[in-house]
Amino acid sequence: MFLTNTEEIPGKNIITCYGVVSGSTVRAKHAGRDMMAGLKNIFGGELKGYTELLGESRDQAIERMKDQAQQVGANAIVNVRFSTSSVAAGAAEIYVYGTAVRVE
Amino acid sequence: MIDLKILGILIALGYFFGKWAERSHYKSIIKREKEFAKLPTTSTKKPLGNPMVAKAELVCGSVVVSVDYFKRILAALRNIFGGAVQSYETLVDRARREAILRMKESCNNADQIINLRIETSSISKGGKNKIGSVEVLAYGTAIYCMKHNGL
Amino acid sequence: MDYKPILPERNSNISHNHPVKEFIILASGVVGFILVCFWVLGFFVDIAVNNLSPEKEGLLFSKVNINMGVKADDEPEKREAVQAVVDSLRTCIDVDYPVQVTIIESEKLNAFAFPGGHIVVFTAILDKMESENGLAFILAHELAHFKNRDHLRSLGRGIVLAALSSMLTGADSSISRLLAPTGYLGQAQFSQSRETKADISALEALNCRYGHVGGATEFFEIIQKNGQDVKEGALHYFASHPELRYRIQALRKTAKEKGFHFEEVKELFL
Repeated sequence: MFLTNTEEIPGKNIITCYGVVSGSTVRAKHAGRDMMAGLKNIFGGELKGYTELLGESRDQAIERMKDQAQQVGANAIVNVRFSTSSVAAGAAEIYVYGTAVRVE
Repeated sequence: MIDLKILGILIALGYFFGKWAERSHYKSIIKREKEFAKLPTTSTKKPLGNPMVAKAELVCGSVVVSVDYFKRILAALRNIFGGAVQSYETLVDRARREAILRMKESCNNADQIINLRIETSSISKGGKNKIGSVEVLAYGTAIYCMKHNGL
Repeated sequence: MDYKPILPERNSNISHNHPVKEFIILASGVVGFILVCFWVLGFFVDIAVNNLSPEKEGLLFSKVNINMGVKADDEPEKREAVQAVVDSLRTCIDVDYPVQVTIIESEKLNAFAFPGGHIVVFTAILDKMESENGLAFILAHELAHFKNRDHLRSLGRGIVLAALSSMLTGADSSISRLLAPTGYLGQAQFSQSRETKADISALEALNCRYGHVGGATEFFEIIQKNGQDVKEGALHYFASHPELRYRIQALRKTAKEKGFHFEEVKELFL
């Protein structure tokens, strides 16, 4: 399954377009990460816990989008876009969407 | 003890009414998606098939969906242990599909919608005594192709 | 380029677990965690209490004002009479620091021990009790709690519970407000065995002071008999004390084992 955020996959032709597919997850941090983040608020620096958490969520969202694309019979997704937003106190939604196509 | 009872009643109300609202919303969404499946929607910048474009116009659709009490409690519990907040996943999924449908509904005669973008945001995030709700905005460019004379 | 609109059969953007199952799992996880914390911290509370001598306790709580109702201050003779009974029991119970009696106006049939050497007695008890021995039993029971430092233990545990709940659910959540009062007075009895132990000590004190244990079960019998009238007070009592009938039986059994007699009781003039 190819993923790009360009219009076309360089070197390949798009033969069929299946429309927009998307994947999303909503993840919450747990109390432990919260306390570490609180400490970091004093000392500064990268919040590795959160980076990891959001990275995992992003991977899962991409997996879900690929799964949807496979269901409709595509073998590539073009023009992929990401969006992160906070939907509840302490929880973030990662959303990824793109156009599912069949290339050769 | 009264507090716990009230909590229990609110949770039960939230669960049953929320489940019912969700189910009927999903039914409506699936029905309308079938109707609008014929309108090609992509997130690419170029229209499919390179047609002669008569008109291009920005269209958008938005919706705000609120959480019910059961979802809130579940999210609060998840906040302690971490992990996927299942209750909110259905919420944003519904909101997003509804927003895309509303966008499609607003331009019924269009031939294509290109450059679809989706923005999600939350209103008040559901903190103490505030309404927790999710707003989704879907926008894109609707393309009206030139009709050949005689068709 | 073709356009084939196919709608996916399975919604892969949501999890398919039943929300109620998830709720039960998470809620029991939280409850389990709280119970473990409570048990562990209770263990430390016990250690701390064993190291807190009565003098230090007196210093800590000396400035505390008992302010939970109207004090029946207009009849100082009542207070002095009850104080006299308490003082006479102190030698028998072996509590060598001063214990102060406060009488508070209330319909509830209850009395409790508060850290700092205070015993609070509600006026309903003084109205309903008929014998001095019965009153002495109640006071001796509270003094026994002092001797075993139980009031500190339940106060400590109540504070631990309130602190845990405000840490996890926020200080102004409904659950925290529900639990806050348990830290306030140490009235939430956490252990039936400690209550029973206090009952036995009170029985012995009664025998030591009066030579017999007549009137020991009077309080519980009053609650049982006047079930209808004092229902409010009885329910209040039930909430924090072990089953009444069981207690009366246990007292009679202990008295028999220790060879105590039930004789004439002294009447209470209050």
